[in-house]
Amino acid sequence: MTSILMRATNLTAVYAADSGQDVPAVDNVTLEVPEGQIVGLAGESGCGKTTMGNALAMIANPPLYVVAGTMEIDDEVIDLSTLARGSNEAHRPYRGATVSLLPQGAMNAVSPTLKVKNLVIDVMRAHKRDTTVAEAMDRATDRLKMLEMPTRVLDSYAHQLSGGMKQRMVTVVSTLLNPKLLIADEPTSALDVSSQKALIEMLLAMVEKKIMRGVIFITHDLPVLSMVTDRLAIMYAGKIVENGPTEELVNNARHPYTSALLSSVLDPTEETRTKHVLGIPGSPPNLANPPSGCRFHPRCQFAMDVCKTQEPKFLNEHNHEVACWWANDHAYETVPMEVYKA
Amino acid sequence: MGLRRYLANKTVWYLGALVVAVVLNFVLPRLIPGNPVDVLVSKMGQGGLSSEAQQRTYEAFMREFGLDKPIWDQFVLYITGVFHGNFGASFSFYPTPVSSLIAQSVPYTLALQLPAIVLGWIIGNLLGAIAAYKGGSWDKSVFTTALLFNSTPYYCLSIILLYVFGVVLGWFPVGGAYSLGSSPEWSWAFFSDAITYWYLPFASLVLINIGGQAVGMRSMAIYELGSDYVNYSRSLGIGDRKMTGYIFRNAMLPQITGLALSIGTMVGGALITELVFSYPGMGSLLFGAISSNDYPVIQAVTLIITVAVLVANYMVEILYGFIDPRIRASKSGEK
Amino acid sequence: MTNISSSAVVAEAGGPLVPEGLPTEPQKAKPAWRSLNFGPRMWISLGIIGFVAALAFIGPLFYPFGPEEKVGSLYDQPTWMNTPPTFEHILGTENFGYDVLAVLMASARNSIIIGLLAGTIAVVIGVAIGVIAGYVGGWVEELLMGFTNIVLAIPSIVILILISISLQSTGVPFLKGVVGLALVIGVTSWPWTARAVRAQASSVATREHIDVAKLSGARTPSIMVRDVLPYLASYAVMAWVLQLASAILAESTLSMLGLGPAGANSLGKQLFWALAFQAVATGAWWAFLPPTIVLTMISFGLLYLQSSLDEVFNPRLRRGKKKNLAKAAARREETARKLAENPPVEVNA
Repeated sequence: MTSILMRATNLTAVYAADSGQDVPAVDNVTLEVPEGQIVGLAGESGCGKTTMGNALAMIANPPLYVVAGTMEIDDEVIDLSTLARGSNEAHRPYRGATVSLLPQGAMNAVSPTLKVKNLVIDVMRAHKRDTTVAEAMDRATDRLKMLEMPTRVLDSYAHQLSGGMKQRMVTVVSTLLNPKLLIADEPTSALDVSSQKALIEMLLAMVEKKIMRGVIFITHDLPVLSMVTDRLAIMYAGKIVENGPTEELVNNARHPYTSALLSSVLDPTEETRTKHVLGIPGSPPNLANPPSGCRFHPRCQFAMDVCKTQEPKFLNEHNHEVACWWANDHAYETVPMEVYKA
Repeated sequence: MGLRRYLANKTVWYLGALVVAVVLNFVLPRLIPGNPVDVLVSKMGQGGLSSEAQQRTYEAFMREFGLDKPIWDQFVLYITGVFHGNFGASFSFYPTPVSSLIAQSVPYTLALQLPAIVLGWIIGNLLGAIAAYKGGSWDKSVFTTALLFNSTPYYCLSIILLYVFGVVLGWFPVGGAYSLGSSPEWSWAFFSDAITYWYLPFASLVLINIGGQAVGMRSMAIYELGSDYVNYSRSLGIGDRKMTGYIFRNAMLPQITGLALSIGTMVGGALITELVFSYPGMGSLLFGAISSNDYPVIQAVTLIITVAVLVANYMVEILYGFIDPRIRASKSGEK
Repeated sequence: MTNISSSAVVAEAGGPLVPEGLPTEPQKAKPAWRSLNFGPRMWISLGIIGFVAALAFIGPLFYPFGPEEKVGSLYDQPTWMNTPPTFEHILGTENFGYDVLAVLMASARNSIIIGLLAGTIAVVIGVAIGVIAGYVGGWVEELLMGFTNIVLAIPSIVILILISISLQSTGVPFLKGVVGLALVIGVTSWPWTARAVRAQASSVATREHIDVAKLSGARTPSIMVRDVLPYLASYAVMAWVLQLASAILAESTLSMLGLGPAGANSLGKQLFWALAFQAVATGAWWAFLPPTIVLTMISFGLLYLQSSLDEVFNPRLRRGKKKNLAKAAARREETARKLAENPPVEVNA
């Protein structure tokens, strides 16, 4: 049984909407990242995965507030809540060094008037005041060489780099301090296919070289997920509905939503011609007023009476968790998705 | 676009603007149907000249000012004159050459405007930056005050300052550039006297400039606070102080462009300030010339103002090209 | 293989996963116009502008004296300063012996009218040029923007002075007065708006709905009016407010130089006469302070309005209302406390 690198417990994060109401975007979520593994976090747009990434990376900014949650990482317990006045300063030493965020859209991640090498120096000095320029440059050039990237990147401004190069450069900067956990938020979304491949290979190489000890890979791009991740957590309406080894989820989905989501990606095989893809009827709920009981029940074809009234508890089946009443009744069964034969 | 191309681009069209300005400067006053010399001579006639003498004077003036020649020749004369710094003779102060009138008034205008623009820009931007960074009630009060100053026309503030501090409180002299009896010279005594006359007009300019820059800088800085790079630097654990450094470096750029754009308006309003204080700079000279239809002076002053503003704009734009890395270090486009 | 069947029952016994503390019912939705964020700034600026407009347009209907009625002599002090005090002429008389308040109302009216005329002309020209340049692009854009930049670089005050001098001695009467001046100001002050609008129009032109319009066969002028213009509405409004302010100020600058509208009063002209007759030096504050204050009020009111509109249209500039923030923060603390006191039961077999 692999050890756990990071365990986030009871994470709740809310958005202060213009109407004055607080909308829970992440509702009492618990997530683990085993040592040396890449955990994917997937779901439709607006399910709360980016918010969760921000909360875990401790960079939540008003109007986003982390109301509750703790992170246990390497025997250290960190309070993720951002309500207290000093929380920003308290979280600062962890940012970039313990947990680091690889942002969505690296296009504007670097200030247009800042050379990359100066950013590198600033990042290192933020955590160790007396870092010399030479030390910072050494670390940067070593890392670039290790990942087979040109070192002239350091002397450039952001606008001088192409999109793919920028993304990889940002990845290097985000991992410069060897953070224990890297949270990659849709890193491949804005890239063309060849750049995607290069980035993914770089991430895998970095995990292998133990630059990071764990990655949370957030994306809605399902084919990428199945290529990259060891485990997969599926989010719906601010809650995690299923969590387990990627292969099992792909072939042996236990939650109706997971099954519908994963089967919405077509494999270009002969069989596909005979299959009828079932979309998921309806649309994601308004988080300000989520459905009672199981949040997925209005759109679920297996919904039972209990689903409308009670929220399902997590069922743990040998390292594979699922929160679903139907799954409770059908232990270890894959969700049967109907396929029409032509 | 590369630096060289940027510089060339800017040089070319500032030269173009200059040409247009010179032409306009010549053409616009001449849209009047009628002859300025008529006005002049009739004024003299009120002083009792015989009509014969008036006729002779009229012809002499026409020759003198080249008004008896066709318009194209007048234009050529004008251009060559300008290049030699010869603007002809003033109508009202005949035969004093216009250039000496200007030479007397330029130092006073420069003494007011130059420090007002530079200091106003520096202090204003600092103030706006701090307000944006601190937020809260400090921000609110700085913003409202700055906006109040910024929206007050120069001459309105001048009048208020003059009345309150000059007339009512009597702390400052009420008009002019130096005490009666003293004459301009490069002596300490003269400077220490003249500076008391300088404070109020300078204050009315610089306070408004500070207000304007503060308002602009604050908006730019607040806008930048929401940028991606701020969020990213924060996620790397970079502290607030460093981040504000990034923000200001970026917010500064449009402020420099803004300075170029506003020099034109600043100069205009500041000239009127001179009127309020009877300060003998170009504004007062222009005012006097307008009232007495002294066309050579009007034309010369407007031309100089235009050229000065264009030159100032040009220098600021060139400076910007060297400061903004997006222009200085252009795209090399590697994959 | 672990024991699984009873996990649901076990979990139930431990208490509900979601504590009651979290809000599950939405609060009453606020009406849509509330969310437009009309802050105190907007009300203050509208109030100031309203006051000046009332002074200019409604005041004369009630005030007994006209702006050209000689009611006294040079700089009579306000009657409430006399012994015994009366309220007949609360602002005294100016240099021609006219009641200052009457002149003030007439001046304000003219200044505002000139500002409205000139500002509207400038915005119309500026938006037209900006939209054409931004949408059509290519050499049309280069040409228009080059032209705009040149007009922008040459200080407008110079152009205004030169043109006004020409107009002074013209034979056509209406050109010398309010309308003529407004025309001149409007026609020379559009470049700023044109630049701002062009930048916006350029970016709107790249949006998808434009492609749709083109594909459905709409012609360029129609696209510009129906598909591009609505997106520029917020800019156009803000530009209009700014042009108003700058036109009013331009007119008063010209008036102070002696180039104001012939035969009409304006705030700048009041100041011109005040300076000419040494009102400041002789301490006749009632002659110059009222127009100064009114001019500043108009200018400040309009600029303040523009900055509050900027906040409405540009959410990134909003800094949040203090009252709501405090309430919301308190609510969150409540929620956090409740969650801490009742940690939800974890189920891990």
